[in-house]
Amino acid sequence: MSWLLVLPIAIPMATAVLALLVRKQHIMERYVSAGGGAALFVATVVLLAAVWQDGTLVGRMGNWPPPFGIVLVADLFSAVMVLIAGLTGLLIVIFALATVDVERERFAFHSFYHILLGGVCGAFLTGDVFNLYVWFEVMLISSFALIALGGEKAQLDGAVKYAAINLVSTILFLTSIGLLYGATGTLNMAELNQAVRAVENQGLIDAIAIMFLIAFGIKAAVFPLFFWLPASYHTPPVAVTAIFAALMTKVGVYALFRMFTLVFTNDLALTHTVMLVVAALTMITGVLGAAAHTDIRRILSFHIVSQIGYMVLGLALFTPLALVGGVFYLIHHIIVKANLFLIGGVIKRVAGSFDLNRLGGLYLSHPVLAVMFLIPAFSLAGFPPLSGFWAKLILIKASLDLEEYLIAGVALVVGLLTIYSMTKIWIQAFWKPLPADGAPAGPAPLSGFERVALYTPIIVMCAVTVTIGIWVEPFFVFAERAAQELIEPAGYVAAVLGGGPR
Amino acid sequence: MAERGGESRGQVPGWAFVLLSLAGVVFALTLVPRVASGEVLRVAIPWLPSFGVQFSFFVDGLSLLFALLITGIGVFIGLYARAYMHGHAQTGAFFCYLIFFQASMLGLVLADNIITLFVFWELTTVSSFLLIGFDHASEKARRNAWQALLVTGAGGLALLAGLLLLAQAGGSMELSELMTAESGVQEHPLYLGILVLILLGAFTKSAQVPFHFWLPNAMAAPTPVSAYLHSATMVKAGIYLLARVHPSLSGTPEWIWTLTIFGAVTAVWASIVAMRQTDLKLALAYTTVMALGTLTMFLGSEAHIAITAAMTFLVVHCLYKSALFMVIGIIDHETGTREVDRLGGLFRAMPITAVAAAAAAFSMAGFPPFLGFIGKELKYEGALAVASEPLLVAGAAIAANALMVGLAAVVAIRPFYGAPRTYDRTPHRPPFGMWIGPVFMALLGLTFGVGPEYVGNLLINPAANAVAGIQKDVKFALWHGVNIPLMMSILTVALGVAVFIFSDTLRRWLASALGHLLTGDEAYDGVKGAILKLADVQTAILQNGSLRRYLFVVFAVTAAGVGGTLIAEGGMAWPALWPDVPIYEWAIVVLIAAGAVVPMAARSRLAGICGLGTVGSGVALIFLIYGAPDVAKTQLLVEVLFVVMISVVFLKLPRFAETTHPPKRGRLGDLTLAAISGGVMTLMTLAVLDTPLNDHLTKYFEANSVPGGQGGNIVNVILVDFRALDTFGEIVVVAVAALGAFGLIKLRSTRAGGS
Amino acid sequence: MEVLLAVLVGWLFGAAVYLMLSRSLVRYLFGLVLISNAANLAIFASGRLTRGAPALVPDGLTAPAEVVANALPQALILTAIVIGFGLLAFAFVLAYRAHDELGTVDTDAMRVAEPIAEEKPVPAASGRETAV
Repeated sequence: MSWLLVLPIAIPMATAVLALLVRKQHIMERYVSAGGGAALFVATVVLLAAVWQDGTLVGRMGNWPPPFGIVLVADLFSAVMVLIAGLTGLLIVIFALATVDVERERFAFHSFYHILLGGVCGAFLTGDVFNLYVWFEVMLISSFALIALGGEKAQLDGAVKYAAINLVSTILFLTSIGLLYGATGTLNMAELNQAVRAVENQGLIDAIAIMFLIAFGIKAAVFPLFFWLPASYHTPPVAVTAIFAALMTKVGVYALFRMFTLVFTNDLALTHTVMLVVAALTMITGVLGAAAHTDIRRILSFHIVSQIGYMVLGLALFTPLALVGGVFYLIHHIIVKANLFLIGGVIKRVAGSFDLNRLGGLYLSHPVLAVMFLIPAFSLAGFPPLSGFWAKLILIKASLDLEEYLIAGVALVVGLLTIYSMTKIWIQAFWKPLPADGAPAGPAPLSGFERVALYTPIIVMCAVTVTIGIWVEPFFVFAERAAQELIEPAGYVAAVLGGGPR
Repeated sequence: MAERGGESRGQVPGWAFVLLSLAGVVFALTLVPRVASGEVLRVAIPWLPSFGVQFSFFVDGLSLLFALLITGIGVFIGLYARAYMHGHAQTGAFFCYLIFFQASMLGLVLADNIITLFVFWELTTVSSFLLIGFDHASEKARRNAWQALLVTGAGGLALLAGLLLLAQAGGSMELSELMTAESGVQEHPLYLGILVLILLGAFTKSAQVPFHFWLPNAMAAPTPVSAYLHSATMVKAGIYLLARVHPSLSGTPEWIWTLTIFGAVTAVWASIVAMRQTDLKLALAYTTVMALGTLTMFLGSEAHIAITAAMTFLVVHCLYKSALFMVIGIIDHETGTREVDRLGGLFRAMPITAVAAAAAAFSMAGFPPFLGFIGKELKYEGALAVASEPLLVAGAAIAANALMVGLAAVVAIRPFYGAPRTYDRTPHRPPFGMWIGPVFMALLGLTFGVGPEYVGNLLINPAANAVAGIQKDVKFALWHGVNIPLMMSILTVALGVAVFIFSDTLRRWLASALGHLLTGDEAYDGVKGAILKLADVQTAILQNGSLRRYLFVVFAVTAAGVGGTLIAEGGMAWPALWPDVPIYEWAIVVLIAAGAVVPMAARSRLAGICGLGTVGSGVALIFLIYGAPDVAKTQLLVEVLFVVMISVVFLKLPRFAETTHPPKRGRLGDLTLAAISGGVMTLMTLAVLDTPLNDHLTKYFEANSVPGGQGGNIVNVILVDFRALDTFGEIVVVAVAALGAFGLIKLRSTRAGGS
Repeated sequence: MEVLLAVLVGWLFGAAVYLMLSRSLVRYLFGLVLISNAANLAIFASGRLTRGAPALVPDGLTAPAEVVANALPQALILTAIVIGFGLLAFAFVLAYRAHDELGTVDTDAMRVAEPIAEEKPVPAASGRETAV
């Protein structure tokens, strides 16, 4: 069944090539792109179903046995991340069809977009740490291309900072891999699980672990390494920001989860304590950053940082329940945050601005949009019974169970400040009457196509948010099983090294 | 103002709200006999069973009493609001919010599972937010809605933590189990924390000093909302919670003192401030705060009679307060003002309203034969029964009640009697829907007062028993004989009359005496401002827009984190130093090192490029010497391409000497960080070199390169076979880089459509 | 020689850090070149060194006859070099275009995305009226 593991990488790559080939026929290119997104989504659903049914899937690339060849591995955590990537990938590309201009499409926007998706899926699926580096690079270069494509001043400024800091992360990651290989002699993650314990110099392993933590921490945008994110995320077209917000930092978080459950669990007192402090500071600094801004995209960007803190918290506490919370939070956050950015895009489209000081009156003029905003916004703020409430609830319960009262308090207070930010957008953009010096109304009323392409992804994501909120048990059970696999990696290791290919 | 479309849109939700409320009342009434006989009804649907969360509800005396108040008052609020909101463009949305609120509130008082309770708790906060800010064009409405949300939201988060800890300490997530069993929460080490957190939730929601300020501000909402949410129902949620956790948490000195003191202070303070108000709606809002304080104070006690007093007063207050709010709404609606100084002589225009107001005010003042009288007698009886501090409680009750008598008189007399005034519009009789509510409430107050046995035995006693956790039925009667409470009542009335007569003087005096005190409202602005200031400062420091600064932090964290860990965890190791290295290898290393220094020091970019070229070539040489000819070739090739590229690009870029050097001080810092970073990397590499290399992968590749991979060049076989996926990714990267660079160069912002 | 390489890795890394901390984007890119070299050398050293014996299997044999250089790090470095080149090339073009549009390579002067006069948030009392 290893072809199932290859599809989430192969489909986006093939779509990218095809889109490039037909880019002269503009309409054709768009069909290819949307079709590729749909195909990827279907493939990821099938993959998750297979993993749910048959357990961890392992695919040996080139049929070389691990740890010698590269393996692709899908446990539940990987599979669900791939599925979420497939879902958001499909929805955001639909949104992009109505918002990304023809010029950008002509210069291979869709190809970059799908290669990004392919890189993300590759990163989620690989079981080899150097191969993970390669997928990070695939992702990185296509994100460079996407963030800079269009060449607007702010874009280039943001892209420079984005690239400059992420390249440092890349180098740190590469160096850590080299050092880890030198110390353990292997690159296979499953084998590393035991290999790091076999190394006599555990102090060295700790230092390498911290290096990985920093490299992934930059990607995941944790305190104090997040600068690149608020410096750049508000500059490209909204569809780009949305897919970045949904997936890019989450790959960093995924990598943290993977490496710090499967490999670096030999000194929890050090690594996971560091993470706990980082999580707290990330939550606080992110949410304060959001409070200081009035541009919707910048508010949302800072909130990404803050929310990453919650996910890292789940990993740092390192109990089964905390990991359930972390996994749950990841899934919830990707949907909600992407949705908020898309809604921000619609606001810009219909009201002509992202700046709260220049917005107003949307409650009366766009009541549907208002409802659509409230769902993800209140979910992000943790109001019940939406997805974010459960995510926070689980994490807070996990903190209290461990008697980590301080961190629970931080999580709660940051929740309050999140409510503050979300209602700030609501009050300023929706309730407040349009100020006299407000932005002129959107250039033209929405066309029928725009209406469909803009609102469909938003409505679907709202539905997912509400569904998770109301019908939470299956999602919890799922996260529980995924977390169980993470905290007891023996199954993963056996699937890769012990059992044969399925 | 009238907009036909809006009117018809509002009809359906309006009637829906009335009928839903009515259905609720009827259903609740059918449950009364069973509950009064001590039965507890439960229903549970699994919601998140893996986490112990059930969508579970139970009906005992306490929840049924609340449910009846919520639905019963809802009926008349619905009728009232239909008339009040007549012609408003968004009546439909208004009633949808009201239905949303009512459902949430019912869920709150019926919930069994603590998470279910919390869910509805938060939903009442949200619906209250939407309703306070309903008049969203008004800046005041927006601000006050936000304030109410943030204050009660903060309390809600504390409550969540408190409930989770309570469940942990009590061993169950179901309130019915936490309350009946000897839960042992009071002996739990976390008891104090649980208490504080839950009280924070209850006190913010039920507007206890010092969190009370949001409630008067919430009067920015349309009057039906004020009457319903912010006097009769939602603000009682905190009281409900206190009553609900009473069996498991009460009785400790912490409980008794906290509730007694906060309740007493709130009651007295609020009634003093209420006297200050000229806006009748605001005055009523403060008397609501006063009532909430009184309820809290009585719930502080263990005495059954005190709890009964609280439950009775709860009913009394709901009836008269919603009636009076509706009356004020009518006055406002008909005259355009709520200022007491500008009102008078309205009796002629609206006699029914005036009578209803008088009846409600009698109940408020605690005159016989209204239910308020019984409530007050019970309060005094309860106050005297308070074990710890009867004088404090009784004193607070008398002071607050006396001020209430005065205020009741102000509300019932000043607008309706005396000289008629001129108003912006001509006042006439309000429509049926508006006056029926106050009249019915006032009548209920009278009926219950004359014949208190039914309401007492069927509703109040079961509620009080549920709170106290024991079965002990108080006999309700209008006349208790001449006893101490009656004496206290007489004293209260005398004081109250004095307050009414001197109300204007008192108000002026209070205004000058209290004018400069810090109000909770200012404190809220202060805290909010401070947080925003902190946010600004923090963001200005962290996210200051300077890439240099960002990178400095990243590198500093890396050096400190990695180096610190290596040293602290004892990971440093020294492999055999200075092995035998031929002189030409030394030369290469020195060359590379020197090459790296050139771009650091050079002002000319050409020299810099030469330096980099030296480094690249030197590294290639090392690869070549140590058995990596393919790597060396690639390295050289890349080197050449790099020089070509750089030359092309640099023809465009300015001499970078201009921006080469940071200020002197910064340069020293940079150098230090660079030196430390380099040192850390060296230490790391050395430590790795000191560990034995496990070369099983390489051995496998060497053994299988020819048989499996069909190639003698092991490196190549690894690239194209063993690790072909890496190579695939590598090709993708290069392709995207080329394509991306092409787009970047060709697509200028002037051509892109974006702004 | 490994020890010497370890020192060299640190040296290059340090030089690179110094350059990347400069306000000039050009110097940052120089630093990037150096730091890539440092990373590659670190991997190379981590795989241990074997002088003068490329990882080749002579014709007719199925495995190397003698001790040869560790092939795996070489393969990794080759991948890393190519990837690094792709990234570097793009970064150069980006710097070039940024200079084109923004008129500077001084990163401290690049303040379009995060303007210096940060818009202040609407003050705390955005909706404040004299409250009661």
